[in-house]
Order: sequence, then C-alpha cells, then structure tokens
Amino acid sequence: MAIVLEANYAKKLGLPNFSSHQYSVTIRTELTDLTQVEEASTRLYGILQDAVDREIQHVGFMPDASTYGMNNGNGHPSNGNGNGNGNGHRPPAADGWACTEGQQKLILQLVHDHRLDKGEIETMAQQLFGIGVKELNKMQASNLIDDLLEKVGKKSSRGRPRWQNREGARA
Amino acid sequence: MIALADPAAPVSPAASEAKIIADLQATVSPSRLTLFLGCRLKFWFRYVARITKPKTAALHVGSSVHAVLKAWNKARWRQTPLTLTQLHEEYVKAWAETEEPVQWAAGEEDQEKKTGWRLVETYFRESKIPPESRPEAVEVPVEADLHQHGLPTLIGVLDLVQAGRIIDFKTSSTTPNPEKVAHTTEVQTSSYAVLYREATGRRETGIELHHLVKLKNPKLVLTALPPMSDLQQTRLFRLMEAYVEGLERQDFVPSPGMQCASCEFFNECRLFC
Repeated sequence: MAIVLEANYAKKLGLPNFSSHQYSVTIRTELTDLTQVEEASTRLYGILQDAVDREIQHVGFMPDASTYGMNNGNGHPSNGNGNGNGNGHRPPAADGWACTEGQQKLILQLVHDHRLDKGEIETMAQQLFGIGVKELNKMQASNLIDDLLEKVGKKSSRGRPRWQNREGARA
Repeated sequence: MIALADPAAPVSPAASEAKIIADLQATVSPSRLTLFLGCRLKFWFRYVARITKPKTAALHVGSSVHAVLKAWNKARWRQTPLTLTQLHEEYVKAWAETEEPVQWAAGEEDQEKKTGWRLVETYFRESKIPPESRPEAVEVPVEADLHQHGLPTLIGVLDLVQAGRIIDFKTSSTTPNPEKVAHTTEVQTSSYAVLYREATGRRETGIELHHLVKLKNPKLVLTALPPMSDLQQTRLFRLMEAYVEGLERQDFVPSPGMQCASCEFFNECRLFC
C-alpha cells in the first residue's frame, strides 16, 4: 500500500502600515514504505522553503497608507445616541483608522514598546474580525487591545476602557 | 456635606471630596448608576468615602464563574476550543487569583467553590450557544461620550456579543422572573445597548440575560429581551441626568427598606448623621 506524504510550507511577512503578505506551497508525494519518510520530509522541506523564499521577495502591490481605503462609501458614523449607519463600520478618520484616536495610540504604543510584529497583529485582526487593524470599529479595537495587553503580560481589568486613564469604576 | 459619626471607619484618604465628585460626574457605569438610584448614601460610602469591605462569597463565586465563561468564549472566538479539564483549570486559577480578600467561615470556601463549578458545568450543558459559533466580542470594555446630551461618559463591559445579541452573564440565588428582571436590569441593559450602538454604529438584534441560578440542582435561565426602544433610551438618559444633578447637590440621602438587611454598609448607615 502506498503512503501519501503531504508537505506544506507557509510564510507570512509583515509589511509597512499594518500590511502583510503570505505565500504557501503544498506538495503531495507517494512513498513505498515508512523508512523513506524522514529523508523525503527533509528533502521536501528544503525544496518548499526555497520556493516560498524566492517568491515572497516580490512584494507586489503596496497601498498608499495616506489614501488607500479612505473613501469606502460606508456612510456616516453613529451620532452617539444609538442611531448608527447599520453596517458596523465607520468611515476611517483622516489618518485611516476607524477606532478612536486613543485606541489607535495605544495599539501603536504597544507595538512600539513591546516590539510586536505588525504583521502578526494584522493577522490577529483578520482572524478575529475578518478585517484589518485600521478598519476595526471601537468595540473590535477594544477587544484587540485587551488581547494585546494579555500578550505582553498585562492583565486585563473589567470596567474601564484601557485607552483611558481616569478614575476606575465598577462595571 | 455628610460625615461619618464613626471617625475610625476605614476611609481612603487621598483626593478631596469635591475632586472625587467631579470625577464621578465625568463618567458613569451601569452598576454605579444603579447603586446611586438604589441608595445614594450607599453610593456615598462606596464611591465618595471609598470605604472598602471584604469581597462577599457570592461575588467571588460570580467573578470566578465569569472568568471561566470568558475563557470559554475567547477560545471559541480563536477557534481553539477548551476541554472541560482545561476549563476546570481556568476555574481553579480564577478562584485562587482574587485581588480582594474574602472572609470565609469554616468549610464555606470548599462548598462555594463546588457550587461555582456546578454552575459552570450547568452552563456548558444547557447553554444554547453552539461551541463552534464565533462571538463578535468577548468581555469588551466600551464607552459612549454623551456630553452632547449634557451627560457623563457612559462606560461598561459587554460580557459577550454574538450575532448582534448582547449577552450578560449573571449568577443568582433565586430564579428570575422574566418580566421583573427586564425591569430591574433595565439600567444595565439599556446602557449596554447605548454602548454597543456607539462602539459599532449598529443596532443590537436583542439582549439576553443568562442567569445561572444557585439551586440544589443549578439551572440556567435565559431571558431574551428586544433591542432597546427609544423610550428606554430616553429613560436611561433621564436617570443619568438625575445622577449628575444629585451629585451636584451632594444629595446623599439613605433609602431605608428591605434591601438594607443585606447591605454591607448597614452599620455605617445606622451611624449616619
């Protein structure tokens, strides 16, 4: 009976302005017996890594951070009394972020202070919310900040948005 | 201005009363607002005089249960579900990690710890939330700047948001009556709706209260509420107005009633002058 060996190599790299790109290659091969697995795995790993490394050097399209996604036609932001636009996303502010300035500053500060990988954070946002960091609304940004604080070993606390520094409250 | 008749009471020194009140007027959470509306003197003891009391057993059970539900929801969100053993480890960790001391009677801690875990097991057994469904948000702190309405900034934490529904977890010793609980929790549920709408630009599809009831055989009671109405929002804003004005007047009168029997400030209140 033939043994099927499937090998996959994937690499994701961070790019400026919370961008990232990734590439992966998968290969399937048949082996005649189990003694061939170790050698085949080593060989395939080398081939796949070379292939991915060669291709991923081509960054391709890179958006202009000052203009890209600024006019997405999402409507108007909530007026604060509950009458929102119904789509869950605010149009990004002039600097391209949809969350508050305080949240934006805290995210960037955490990235800077703890040398976090922007690409990894972008991936986190994509995995959790299906959108990029800059597109996160206030609620999503708050949850991301909580996760980042946990990641850097700062315990999250109930009751007070983290991007503020006023008297605490019991919520 | 009010004062404690017993000067030995453990009052935090620090900030002046005027500064504390100004800070309290700047932001408000649903629990703080509810406390103010329930008994202004109790509010004064807790938030102005800052008298600290040992954490109650019930509160400790509640926060430990909350911690496990948070871990469970976060794991669902990240699509890395936790086993029951892992959840129990989270519970044990949360139980041990209390920031405030609890004064236990002999044998009480073990009993309460078991009670809490039985509540968690009940939730996983009876909850209608499919383990594979992904939440929108988990225990997320949010705020709404209401200064344009002449009101403080509203702050709060949403336990869980799932498919546009705001879900709040509660532990209780009695079975809630759906009609009454809709009324008694309205400050909280309306606040959450305002916070959700402000933070997302969307209207919630509904609000759910998940009560874990500490009975001999624990049970889960789900109360589904419709989205906040305009009338409810107006009522919340009126209550916030009363909060701001009451603080302005330093109107910290007591509200004697049945609820005093379980109030942690009962003794201080008897000395009120």
